[in-house]
Amino acid sequence: MASPSPPQGNGSHDDGSHDDGEAEHQAAAVAALRAAFARLQPQGSDAWNFLAAFTHLGDQYGPYQPGASEVSKLLLAPAAPEGGRGRTRGAAWKRRVPDEGAGASPGAVLAAAGPQAELSQAMAQVVEAFRFLAGRVATLERQLARRDRPVEGAAWLAPAPELGEWVEPVRAHLVALAAPEVLHGDCGEGRLLDALDVSAVRATGVEPRGMVALGSLERGRRIVIGEVDEALAARPPASLGGLVLSGVVDRLPLHGLLALVDQAHRALAPGAPLVVVAHHRAAAAARLTEGARDLLQPCNLAAQTWEDVLGRAGFAHVAPLRDAPDDESRFALTATVPA
Amino acid sequence: MSGIHQFVPMLHRGDAVGRHTLRLRDLFVARGIASRIYVEMVDPATADETVAAVDYPAQCEPGDIVVYQFATASAMAPWLAARPETLVVNYHNITPPELFAAWDNHLALGQLRAQSELRLLAPRAALAVADSAYNKEHLDAAGFARSAVVPPSAALASDLLCAQARGSADSARGAVRGTRWLSVGRVAPNKAVHDTITALLVARARHDPEATLLIVGKPAVASYADALRRYVADLGLQGAVTFAGHAGDTTVAAAYAQADVLVVMSEHEGFCVPVTEAMTVGLPVVAYAQGALPEILGQGGVLVDSKNPYLVAGTIAALLADPARCDALAAAGHEQLAALDLATAGTRLADLVCALA
Repeated sequence: MASPSPPQGNGSHDDGSHDDGEAEHQAAAVAALRAAFARLQPQGSDAWNFLAAFTHLGDQYGPYQPGASEVSKLLLAPAAPEGGRGRTRGAAWKRRVPDEGAGASPGAVLAAAGPQAELSQAMAQVVEAFRFLAGRVATLERQLARRDRPVEGAAWLAPAPELGEWVEPVRAHLVALAAPEVLHGDCGEGRLLDALDVSAVRATGVEPRGMVALGSLERGRRIVIGEVDEALAARPPASLGGLVLSGVVDRLPLHGLLALVDQAHRALAPGAPLVVVAHHRAAAAARLTEGARDLLQPCNLAAQTWEDVLGRAGFAHVAPLRDAPDDESRFALTATVPA
Repeated sequence: MSGIHQFVPMLHRGDAVGRHTLRLRDLFVARGIASRIYVEMVDPATADETVAAVDYPAQCEPGDIVVYQFATASAMAPWLAARPETLVVNYHNITPPELFAAWDNHLALGQLRAQSELRLLAPRAALAVADSAYNKEHLDAAGFARSAVVPPSAALASDLLCAQARGSADSARGAVRGTRWLSVGRVAPNKAVHDTITALLVARARHDPEATLLIVGKPAVASYADALRRYVADLGLQGAVTFAGHAGDTTVAAAYAQADVLVVMSEHEGFCVPVTEAMTVGLPVVAYAQGALPEILGQGGVLVDSKNPYLVAGTIAALLADPARCDALAAAGHEQLAALDLATAGTRLADLVCALA
């Protein structure tokens, strides 16, 4: 077997500590990339599947064949000798339960058959219950997919511009309010995270564009590759010390924006600041292709509308960001969750 | 001997088990032995090659040998276990159910059934034949008393591939820039195509911004295939990753001709025909050392013991930057193919079965 050569880094290193740091950052990047794929599993996690339950039932009571076809019934019928080796799963299952068609009531039959038969039938009902639940989950998942099917690569259709000269006033605002832990939605290359790191503010970025996130991950920034609404939904209520929304607010339709604001209000702790950096409608429209506008239908609220939306969602102290740069294309608002 | 008949849940001309079954049937017939293929469900494309299994009791003769092509769960298994004929199990591996569980519970349950059916058949089989030593371990664990290893005859590369030389492949690649990664096989969770995509992302960021990946294979698990497309979109690799879907021999041969490396990140492989195909055409292989892959690849490619995308991307970049090493691997690949002796695999299997008569 040929041995692989070590991966090549972007820069040279003069001591082992740099190598250790790079390895650590790469490990974080690998974990983030794996998590980005895992979130696409339809059932989310093993908790959603019924494998363990079926395995246990199969071990205890013999395998069970859901949905046996008519063909399989034909196959099973002629060759299964009574008590013989070819006893099928269905037959094995039935054999434990007395024939209810013989005239006696089910209860009487069970009583005659003893506790083992009763237990077997109970377990069969459990299996049916699992199948029913699995069917319901599948139906709900299909309905959700129809209702709000995500556009593949939406963040690439309307790429979030870097904060650029907005980094410093946003950082200053968060530091002034002593935000203990900040989440930046659509963090791009992570320059705000870099600045907050220098200011000793713990910051995590959420960036749906994997290739863009890779660079900041390799610099050691904490990044979740995904959508900010998913990241907020995963947090406990009132657990977040500060939130910056940029980019994502320029590409969501109205119902998406309203849902995002509600999620933000739920996740932020009392007194925690929110900063929204958004494009003016004309500037936002100029940045998008016709195809992107058609597919995404971004809302691009006006600054005044943002103030109203944030106020309706329960935020307080809604105001323009202080010391904003001279940028005619963008505006920024700040708000806090009432203490 | 009355006949040697094969049983397979469904006969598909395009898949490895289907091709193997048809070749084996032809070998028996060439020896003057009656041989039919019985199926549980009829594929319209192969209907003229098959007989419904429910008809077998009316057609069977004393002394028949039945060969069960085992790759998935089927009501055929308990049915065959209860029949009196001499039984041979030709085992092509069962994908562990846990690899399907998060994507499709029904498929996962099917794999659970298959595992149980393998154990059910063990005491009944006069002989079990596995594709690989790795698969034979499964047979041993299931309780089969007598087993052998014979590679699947379908692993023998098509004439199109055999005629293909890497010299012509170089011209097929033309002036295209960027290394071309290739993935061949069903698009299913156990193939872990997402790990190849992740490694491609790192490769483009660190080694070759124009590297691309061609994924050739039928989507076998819809939810997984959908997730792969979404993942590619999320990572920003839409222009770099191509899903070719199911492809015929001509398209597959062209894919091998135009590729620079076959990347196999499978979590579980009982044999892996694409590896032998790549070795046939001298295409470098980088594979995750799991399942039967170390056994099948031998020295004919590079095995990685981790799916860390930095390691995989770095390994591929280093390999492709070293033409002498690629040539050495191609030569080792041909030696490995000679050791597997795929050309006689069908005959060897037929000999084993006929010896039971």
